[in-house]
Order: sequence, then C-alpha cells, then structure tokens
Amino acid sequence: MSEYEGKVRMVFKDLPLPIHALARPAHEAARCAGAQGRYWDYHARLFAEQPRFEREDLVRYAVDLGIDRDRFVACLDGRHFAAAVQADVEQARALGITSTPTFLINGRVLIGAHPVENFRIVIGDALRRLQGP
Amino acid sequence: MNVRWSSGPGRVYYILLMLLALLPDARARGQVTLTAHRAMVRGPEGAPVTIVQFSDYQ
Repeated sequence: MSEYEGKVRMVFKDLPLPIHALARPAHEAARCAGAQGRYWDYHARLFAEQPRFEREDLVRYAVDLGIDRDRFVACLDGRHFAAAVQADVEQARALGITSTPTFLINGRVLIGAHPVENFRIVIGDALRRLQGP
Repeated sequence: MNVRWSSGPGRVYYILLMLLALLPDARARGQVTLTAHRAMVRGPEGAPVTIVQFSDYQ
C-alpha cells in the first residue's frame, strides 16, 4: 500500500493466545531481538517459521540474523520482556479484543485477516474524516 | 475518535485511544491507554492514520 506512504503508522501489539503453548516465548524473543535493533526482521522470521518456536528455534533465528547470541539468550532466558508482553495482553483484554489479528485503524476495528482492499477502504475513510467537510 | 500520542519515559509511547467503534465491551470502559515500544512502531510520527495490530505469531 505504497499510496499511503507517510500517512500511516503501524504499531504491533503482542497477543499470544493461550492455545498456543509456545507463543509467549516467541513474543518475548521478538522484543529481545528488538533490543538489538532487529525487531522487524525477527518478527518476519517468526511468521515465516510458525509454529516452530521451541527455545532452540528462537535462538537460531536470532543467530541467523546476526544478533548477538549471548545477549539474546540472556534476554530470552531471563524473560526481560515478560511484563511488557503481558501489558499488551492486558490492554487487549481491556479493549475486549480476543481474536487475532485484530486491527484498530484510527479506532475503527477490523477483526481477522482482511483483503488489502478492506484496509484501503478504512484507511481512506479515516483520511477523509481528518480532512473534514 | 481521538487518538493522542505522547512521549512517555524512555522509549515507550503512550497511545490514548477513545474507542467508539465495534467493541461493545470497550465502549463501556471508555478510554483505554495503549503503550507502544518504539521498536514495534513503523512509519512517521506525525502520520494521520495509526494502525494498531494485535496479533499472535501463529
């Protein structure tokens, strides 16, 4: 959606689902990668490799990206970002969000994986609303 | 809907979100404050549209 370049900011919020036993460590691992400046690369790797999220997998993904292994492992095993991930979970709960993915586009909700065209409609509407009458 | 960004301490941005849309539970709660870590945000700070994605990796 290059037509929206400069007009859209994207924020990712962690919502590991309880039915996915290995999900929470994966979310924490992504933040550990982010602590070394590689969040989005690691994020993409996790989606590509799902559901292979055993500890050795998570470490391997970091090493493959050139992330400092010792720092990453200390972060992951020390659960440095456990509270931050839990904060996202609680914020989702406060909003009544239980499904993934759920998108809030200037407050409007899209639940589930929608075609790109649906996003264009909602984003376009949001931009028009901001322009006013 | 009002979205307010403010810079919190360190690297965390706080998003104040007045949700008036399709989440019936949230409407009863009124304002909800969301936090965002800078590493997990893409796009320009002054962008008029913010997409917040709650997601799992599976």
